[in-house]
Amino acid sequence: MASAAPRFTLERIDGDPLSLDALTAGGPVVLVFAHADCPTSALALRRLAGLGQGPAGVALACVAEETPEAASRLARRTGIRFPVLAEPAPFEVSRAYEIATVPTAVRIEPGVGVTGTAAGWDADAYERLLGASLPSEEPRRKPGCGARWTYEAAAGLDELEDMIERGWSDGLPVVPPTPERVETMLGSRDGAHSLGPVPPAHGVATLERLAACAVLAGCLPRYFPVVIAAAEAALDPGFNAHGIGVTTQPAGPILVVNGPVRDAIGLNSGMGALGPGARANMTIGRALRLLLTLTGGARPGGLDRSTLGHPGKLGMCVAENEEASPWEPLHVERGFARETSTVTVFAGDAPLSVSDHRSRTPEELAATLAWAAAGQWSPFWWPMDDTSLFVLCPEHAMLFGAAGWAKEQVRAAIFAAVQRPAGELRRGETTPLVQVSADDTPVRKWTQPELIEIVVAGGEAGRFSAVFGPCNGMQAEVVTREIQWST
Amino acid sequence: MEYVSPIDDSAAEPVPFALRPRELGGRRVVLLDITKNRGSELLDRVEQHLRLYGAETFRLSKEIFSKPASSEVIERVAIHGDLAVEGLAD
Repeated sequence: MASAAPRFTLERIDGDPLSLDALTAGGPVVLVFAHADCPTSALALRRLAGLGQGPAGVALACVAEETPEAASRLARRTGIRFPVLAEPAPFEVSRAYEIATVPTAVRIEPGVGVTGTAAGWDADAYERLLGASLPSEEPRRKPGCGARWTYEAAAGLDELEDMIERGWSDGLPVVPPTPERVETMLGSRDGAHSLGPVPPAHGVATLERLAACAVLAGCLPRYFPVVIAAAEAALDPGFNAHGIGVTTQPAGPILVVNGPVRDAIGLNSGMGALGPGARANMTIGRALRLLLTLTGGARPGGLDRSTLGHPGKLGMCVAENEEASPWEPLHVERGFARETSTVTVFAGDAPLSVSDHRSRTPEELAATLAWAAAGQWSPFWWPMDDTSLFVLCPEHAMLFGAAGWAKEQVRAAIFAAVQRPAGELRRGETTPLVQVSADDTPVRKWTQPELIEIVVAGGEAGRFSAVFGPCNGMQAEVVTREIQWST
Repeated sequence: MEYVSPIDDSAAEPVPFALRPRELGGRRVVLLDITKNRGSELLDRVEQHLRLYGAETFRLSKEIFSKPASSEVIERVAIHGDLAVEGLAD
């Protein structure tokens, strides 16, 4: 059953007007509605490009929801040679045909009307509408994108979809960075101030772009000083954001925040400290990830070549539970005053949870933690020459503290607890050291105890600690930056 | 709707590939070992084939695989080679 085909005249990209009446003068026409920000539209047009001016007996034309200039670029990019009609806002033709998705193919018979449509990319349906065969390439089907006129029809809702369409996301919905929101995030700071290029694509991290990332991530303006310090730390060349951004390892930055700023902005260092749940923790880590992905170009599957990735790559921001720690907090250990607030960036992979509800001596507990970490990177890769970050829960930290152990002793005990003869390690992925060592040569898991970093976080009950494995081979330094912050 | 873009458009522009030569005879080819495990074995084999085609080869190494090559290494690639082949991964 045919429906009416609204008449229209649009401008071709060569500047001449073209009407539906002219298109159907010699027989049926298939219109393909598309726009330039839609990957499925590009896919469809590339496949249709092989038909040249169109199949025999059927006219073929693209209606691009674009200005003539943008429509021309779309035509060049996809290599199509059939007519392209530019349909800039307010998209009256798309609206008249009620095109919800692009691409959508619409077949119109002269004197009859619309006799068939296909939404998204569906090679079989397109072949039926065109009466012609298309290249047998995969994919044969792919969902389309929202047509531009629908954004305006439901502004508010589709603003969020617009962000995804632009690629300004990590896969989850984001807060649109309107000028007002970005200005509020920046406060009195100079948006043009540069923190330097962001590897791997070397887009420049102006404070304005960083503020846009913070807005996208869902940060409140009072989190922004922490985001700035985190970006400064991650962009320190010693951190090697380039290697971490492009590696096949599922690795990313891990932020540890210390000092009074934690309570002032609502960072959670207690129960569920590694997330989810606390907006400040989740969004500060996410803002840095978005900076690396969007400004730096480390898009998963693009320049970010991570084989698996892991959910913590969305953002990982840990606040140290300094109040539950028997030791100096991380920033004091690294030379800052206790009343200073800092952010420290580590390179690491997914955290491994370590349960130990039975140990009653510090030696036993150190051994549990050490052997849990012994499988990091790869079970037979001994020794590792990069940093492992242990996050001790308060009950574990207190066991060490009650025994009078300094953090240095815990580090030394973890280092000393795991040792295996080279002969047992000589299989699978192992190190050059193991390959050349005699069978009975003892080998440790780390090259030096200083590669074992320890912070305290988590709720008061439960004996679950965690350890983040290193970003092996990256020579990623641990970098701390002071947070320029005031109450 | 107007937004503030987090993207630096000047960095997002793709860099076009350099023109590929049609012949290898007499060409100087730098084989750059990024120092990933067994990358040199791959380059050994590539080097054999390149020589069969009449290319003159020159071996260089990056300092570490996980960081961009230093400007000195890049400069040496440019000085010693008409072409470069990089042994990427293990």
